[in-house]
Amino acid sequence: MQPGLLQRIITSIGIAVLLIWSLGPIYWTLVSSVTPSADFSLRPINFFPREFTFDHFLRLLGINVERIGGVLVWEQFRVALFNSVATSLLATVFCVAIAALGGYAFARLDFPGKRVVFLVVVATLAIPGYAVLIPLYRLMISLKWIDTYLGITLIYVSAYLPLTLWLMRSVFDSLPVSLEEAAQLDGAGRLRIFFSIVLPLVGPGLTAAAILTFLGAWGQYLVPLVFSPKVTKPLTVLIPEFVTKNFIDYGLITASGSIAILIPALVVIFLNRYLVTGLLAGSVK
Amino acid sequence: MTAAVATRADSSRRIAPRGDAVLGLLMVAPIVVTMLALVIVPLGQTMWDSLHRINPMQAGTPFIGAGNYVRMLSDSDVGLAWINTVIYVAIAVSVEMVVGILAAALINQVKVGRQWILAAVILPWALPGVVNSVIWLFIYQPGAGLLNAILVAFGLPFENHVWFNDRTSAMLAVVVVHIWRMLPLTIVIVLAAMQSIPLHLYEAAHIDGATRPQMFFTITLPLIGSAVAVAMTNATVAAFNIFDEAWVLAGANLGTRPILVQIYLETFQNLRFSYGMALSLVLTAISLLVSLVFVLRFYRTTRFD
Repeated sequence: MQPGLLQRIITSIGIAVLLIWSLGPIYWTLVSSVTPSADFSLRPINFFPREFTFDHFLRLLGINVERIGGVLVWEQFRVALFNSVATSLLATVFCVAIAALGGYAFARLDFPGKRVVFLVVVATLAIPGYAVLIPLYRLMISLKWIDTYLGITLIYVSAYLPLTLWLMRSVFDSLPVSLEEAAQLDGAGRLRIFFSIVLPLVGPGLTAAAILTFLGAWGQYLVPLVFSPKVTKPLTVLIPEFVTKNFIDYGLITASGSIAILIPALVVIFLNRYLVTGLLAGSVK
Repeated sequence: MTAAVATRADSSRRIAPRGDAVLGLLMVAPIVVTMLALVIVPLGQTMWDSLHRINPMQAGTPFIGAGNYVRMLSDSDVGLAWINTVIYVAIAVSVEMVVGILAAALINQVKVGRQWILAAVILPWALPGVVNSVIWLFIYQPGAGLLNAILVAFGLPFENHVWFNDRTSAMLAVVVVHIWRMLPLTIVIVLAAMQSIPLHLYEAAHIDGATRPQMFFTITLPLIGSAVAVAMTNATVAAFNIFDEAWVLAGANLGTRPILVQIYLETFQNLRFSYGMALSLVLTAISLLVSLVFVLRFYRTTRFD
């Protein structure tokens, strides 16, 4: 059943259109981030860069700013970059750790209320974050956790826990019990079995869960807009602030955008296989 | 004794249940505490508070029953936000389904380098929605924007066209960014379903003289039904919850404002906390109900024989 020539031409054109649609805006962001500020007013627009400059990135990172001048944002930007990395990583570590422990318990152990608890936790997948936003806001104010790493991390953990738990339990369910039984006959305890036998086997599942949590936390906007207004402000809240009514610094916007998309892009390029597995497991609720 | 043996036989997949109850409870305790404190109790509080008048600018929190819910029926801003949201959902879901299924069928034809194409296609989904919106805001710019530049390159008079002056084109501009971000999810889900269809079905159809379009309509489409239902549910919930794109591209603009932006404004600008809560509960309920309809309509057990 070899496809004919016409068939292959149509497929190629279709794939080309799909790639231009997906990558075009990203290409344009990267190109613009290395375009000198003066060139933004050139008409007609160049689809390929005429001149390169790393000035926008230097301005963002605070390297040699005296030479470049212009708007000073590097202090804010460095903090926001750190905050994005820190909160996303913290949320990922806690979420995956808690979900792995719980997922194993739900898959292998018997305890009272097991089925109900699992159902209720997974059912919260259907509840969007904004439905609990205001009570959470008041709770965080009363605990003085607004604008703290603890507060925002806990909210991310609670947001991604149902999905990662669901994923982890199905991963543990798919493991054969025989290995654990053999270890038990050799006298290994439950926790020992979990940490030294089961966990090493579920690396791909843990990776998939970690990727989904990390990307989710990295991309959050409405939640940090409310809960991380100043000290813990992440990139996603800072970058739109570069767009003001009377002045738009295209270089800053595209350079900061490039940095904010670099990390998710690396994840997609190098961990795509795990991401697709996780997406499928997560979407087929 | 026999009872004990019977229970152990029932849970044959599990080993040595003694002590498991305590360990199991300890292992799920972090999940239970987190979800109770940050989701379940707050959700209950949202429901309870939506029956009161809670506004930091007004004294007291009197019980007003369904007052907030009745109020939204005659609130013209809310009505307009609902209309906008429904338009976004209709456009986003139909485009994502049609284009997503076609794109998945295309990628399914590719033999070499498929995982790289898939990585490129997934990329927009993995990026922060708000950064996507800022990128597209730049693309839509009247002066330095890429979109106008491309149209001008084709000889069209778009040198300084402003896309956000007119409600129709502004809404289209917003929904295009949303589709750019959410289309990959449909493609991934549908493609996985297509890859699980056994090849011999196509070979048999080929022997019977079926053309490719015939195979697509008689084999592929019926067998990806449940995947389409799942993708449609995801697309619907995402489109009902559209926020980042609308907020970054058009701000509080009434003509493009979706319901979630309306909720944000009511809550954090007008400080009508309980009204915002009532609206967010209605939004949750409606997006879940519409998804349920899709699931019931399209979901069927896929059989390959």
